[in-house]
Amino acid sequence: MTEATTTTAATRKITSVKDLEKLRREHKAENDKYPKQVMVCCGTGCLANGAAQLVEAFHKALDEREIKDFEVKAIKETGCHGFCEQGPLVVIEPKGIFYTKVKPRDIPEIIEKSIESDEVIEKHLYVDPRDGKKIECYGEVSFFKHQERIALRNLGKIAAHSIGDYIAVGGYQAIAKALTKLTPDEVIEEVDQANLRGRGGGGFPAGRKWRTCRDVEADEHFVICNGDEGDPGAFMDRSIMEGDPHAVLEGMMIAAYAVGARRGFIYVREEYPLAVLHLQKAIDDCHEYGLLGENILGTDFSFDIRIARGAGAFVCGESSALMKSVAGLVGEPREKYIRSVIKGLWGKPTVLNNVETYVNVPVVINKGAKWFTSIGCENNSGTKAFSLVGKVRNTGLIEVAMGTTLREIIYDIGRGILNDRPFKAVQTGGPSGGCLPESMLDLPVDFDSLTKAGSMMGSGGMIVMDDRTCMVDVARYFLQFLVSESCGKCVPCREGLYQLHQMTIAVCEGRAEESDLEKIEELSDVVVKASLCGLGKSGPNPVLSTLRYFRDEWEAHIREKRCPAGVCRELITYTVNEKCTGCVACITACAYNAITGEKKQPHFIHQDRCTKCGACVAVCRYDAIDVA
Amino acid sequence: MINISINGRLVQAEEGEFLLTVMKRNGFKAPALCHHEAVEPYGGCRLCMVEISKPQWKGWKDLVVSCLYPVSADLEVQTDSEAVIQERKTVLHLLLARNPHTKEIKDLAAEYGIVRSKYQEVAEPDDCILCAICTRICDAMGFSAISLVNRGHGREVAPPLNEPPPDCTGCLACALNCPTNYIKYTDNGMTREIWGKTFEMLRDPQTGMPTITRVFAEYLTKHREIPEEYFGLGDESHRKRTARNFGKIAAWTREETVREEA
Amino acid sequence: MTATAKLQHDFSKLPEIFERHPQDDSSLIMILQDIQKEYRYLPCEALKLTAEQLQLPLSKVFSVATFYNAFSLNPKGEKVVRVCMGTACHIRGADLILDQISNHLGIKEGETTEDGKFSLEVVACVGACAMAPVVIVNDHYHGSVKVSGAKRLVKDK
Repeated sequence: MTEATTTTAATRKITSVKDLEKLRREHKAENDKYPKQVMVCCGTGCLANGAAQLVEAFHKALDEREIKDFEVKAIKETGCHGFCEQGPLVVIEPKGIFYTKVKPRDIPEIIEKSIESDEVIEKHLYVDPRDGKKIECYGEVSFFKHQERIALRNLGKIAAHSIGDYIAVGGYQAIAKALTKLTPDEVIEEVDQANLRGRGGGGFPAGRKWRTCRDVEADEHFVICNGDEGDPGAFMDRSIMEGDPHAVLEGMMIAAYAVGARRGFIYVREEYPLAVLHLQKAIDDCHEYGLLGENILGTDFSFDIRIARGAGAFVCGESSALMKSVAGLVGEPREKYIRSVIKGLWGKPTVLNNVETYVNVPVVINKGAKWFTSIGCENNSGTKAFSLVGKVRNTGLIEVAMGTTLREIIYDIGRGILNDRPFKAVQTGGPSGGCLPESMLDLPVDFDSLTKAGSMMGSGGMIVMDDRTCMVDVARYFLQFLVSESCGKCVPCREGLYQLHQMTIAVCEGRAEESDLEKIEELSDVVVKASLCGLGKSGPNPVLSTLRYFRDEWEAHIREKRCPAGVCRELITYTVNEKCTGCVACITACAYNAITGEKKQPHFIHQDRCTKCGACVAVCRYDAIDVA
Repeated sequence: MINISINGRLVQAEEGEFLLTVMKRNGFKAPALCHHEAVEPYGGCRLCMVEISKPQWKGWKDLVVSCLYPVSADLEVQTDSEAVIQERKTVLHLLLARNPHTKEIKDLAAEYGIVRSKYQEVAEPDDCILCAICTRICDAMGFSAISLVNRGHGREVAPPLNEPPPDCTGCLACALNCPTNYIKYTDNGMTREIWGKTFEMLRDPQTGMPTITRVFAEYLTKHREIPEEYFGLGDESHRKRTARNFGKIAAWTREETVREEA
Repeated sequence: MTATAKLQHDFSKLPEIFERHPQDDSSLIMILQDIQKEYRYLPCEALKLTAEQLQLPLSKVFSVATFYNAFSLNPKGEKVVRVCMGTACHIRGADLILDQISNHLGIKEGETTEDGKFSLEVVACVGACAMAPVVIVNDHYHGSVKVSGAKRLVKDK
């Protein structure tokens, strides 16, 4: 990553609202100097695909010659747009020309045609998978068109590690307003009226949480940001922490002011090193600018933030376990009979909110509760970010108003199922959630509707599955995950989920009997009721929801020893069909010597040696291997 | 003081008291494997769960672990409702799957009519029920020599780095309080061995019997302001000495009384 | 494997690691992470020195070291191959990719090759779900990995 682009405006402490406004004008003017700006996405996804080399290529081109009205500062390394499969992404503002899958060798042409001139290079444009049309502008791409980006507002639009950029787009105005024009109670009232509900999945009204915390008399209150994002398949918080770290900090500052906290922590998952880096840079910059520390903006509000890193434990996304982890202990949750808003971190009243909740806070303060409630639906105001992944054409990070239906998300934004295969289910809410079938596609996505149907919105993971996904295997997968993540303290979770997992494996391997289904349901019921924390309590959900909507699949595995989706290895066979051309590709790929045959002769798979590893299917170009 | 009802009977309690304490005080029972008077409640075994409700909850009920649940006014408790029994039985089946040969678990399960677990027994069962009484008591003693290691199903009680624990003093608090006698130790005359660590015992010169480990005695002397000489004698010798002293006091008192009367 | 666990190390770096963090218990996890990064695992001696430094019982430090996935008490290979097993990756064939790599290297997940060149691990989710399936080799992320291309990621260069 190149050095942070510090602005020419001298870095100095902001000691008043006037200072902030002056700085905003200065930074904005710096950006406005350039008629064109290049946004290079440097989120984890695009970096993996070579975004850093793109930036280098731009810098190299600038080293070689002068380009009119274009300097290094006009190149912004932004956060994740959320459209990773199409990356590396380059957006040319202000027109929003959207280039996908850009390589370093494309840079000279892009500079020549789209920066020095006003041409659009067709071959880099996004092609809509539904109608094959090429789309020029960012805003017209179906993926982005249907979105309403509030939490993700700055992603892809500002340099991720630049405090100057954040201030230029109005950053820290909300905390300034709160500190100088509102009392802590008024801040809480505004957040309460906005009905901002916890975006981590709990959906608890943030205003109410803050008020309860504030009302506890103690010598110290804490504010914590949950950046653990443990749900596999979800990456909203990662993108926000990487791409708009200052928004997280600002949200926490406002919460701290509201509840009277002097110290805050951001708990970041160990698997997100870039997020840790960017957040730390943001914190360091805030120290330099006087936005964190003593007497912020010249008021008597003092607040500082430290990053606490997770160390690979899903259970630490649970609030009481998270607080233990922040304290350097083993992440064992505790009973919620005494809530952490009353007694939390080190026994003090603590507000814990999700990353996405915090980044909504500055917007609520700036634009007001009324505006916020005008978006979304009854009792679910605002928007929600989702990670739409799996067997869907457009995969990535999206944000839509609450109440948008599953169908709109999967078909309008996602553009339908990959390879035109039939839709089977969408899994929402991570391991605590469930799978919903086609008949549920018109459900609005909000905190309440999905729960009624046996799933939940959760933190926003939305995994689309087609007919080649086995629902029993999905249940098995989630149970395996939960068993490995259980802390081990309470019997129902530690032993119960383990036994559920064993029984589900037996189903997948064709060893189960009819009576096992009843055993599974009965045990699930007790695990839900008797577990200590959310991990155990919601652990059986994948089993229960797949039994509810896909019972016939479970029964096929048990009664007929058959896996309809062709996934469960013990129940399927790979056979070579008549399309085989004898190209020996599969024989070479097979690590178990299970395929025999001569060149140009039909090949044969020996079932006793075949492990169903899938290598042969993967290399076969003639669709000559059947899986059934 | 507040009133709560347990199985239909009204009892008194302090607001915030743990429900299990109130239950026990009033003669109501619930199994509680991970519970121990000397340490804070744990909430791990889930056997002490009871069903609660309140009039304002309009019929809604909840299952809570009584060892940790703080009572409040108007609480209505059922210690043996259908939901509770079903939950307890399932937990016992699960425990029996982990510890199929452990007497204490088998006995408790038998009380609920369970002979064998309906679930798959683990490959190499032992007698540890992961109640964590040993580790919690070791913490309470001030040593924290052993702890719970690993996570989830592979969790176990172990000394750090699986080596003889540097902080262990051989006090035997863990072994003597283990509900299933899983923690083994051996006393060989003047040495004791536990957790792979060997300790030298102090000897009572009067009886010739070993008393406590030298290390434990040194700790107590240093941290509990007990004079060093105290540990030179064993319990029996202390009792004999105390008895002799009381005898002397009684004799003096008799002499004084006689002299006064004279 | 266990023979390598008793490697000799230079622990003079530890004071510098300790100094980076506030000197209280809450720094334990982050100190262990820094040690893990420096030595590629947590040497026994380092755990003992950390316990001394933070004045914590060794048993507590050991509990933390064995609770969290990020820590390894055994040395890792030069190249650590992490296969993401998040839901999106699972749906797109992560199991099969893990198989391919496991077979090719001759080790199971959680193990290291005899020559110390490769360690194979699974990760719960790295948040690159839109590019599933994902495999990370040391700090390099590889997205949209194909089952047929999995072996190439672990070829000795």
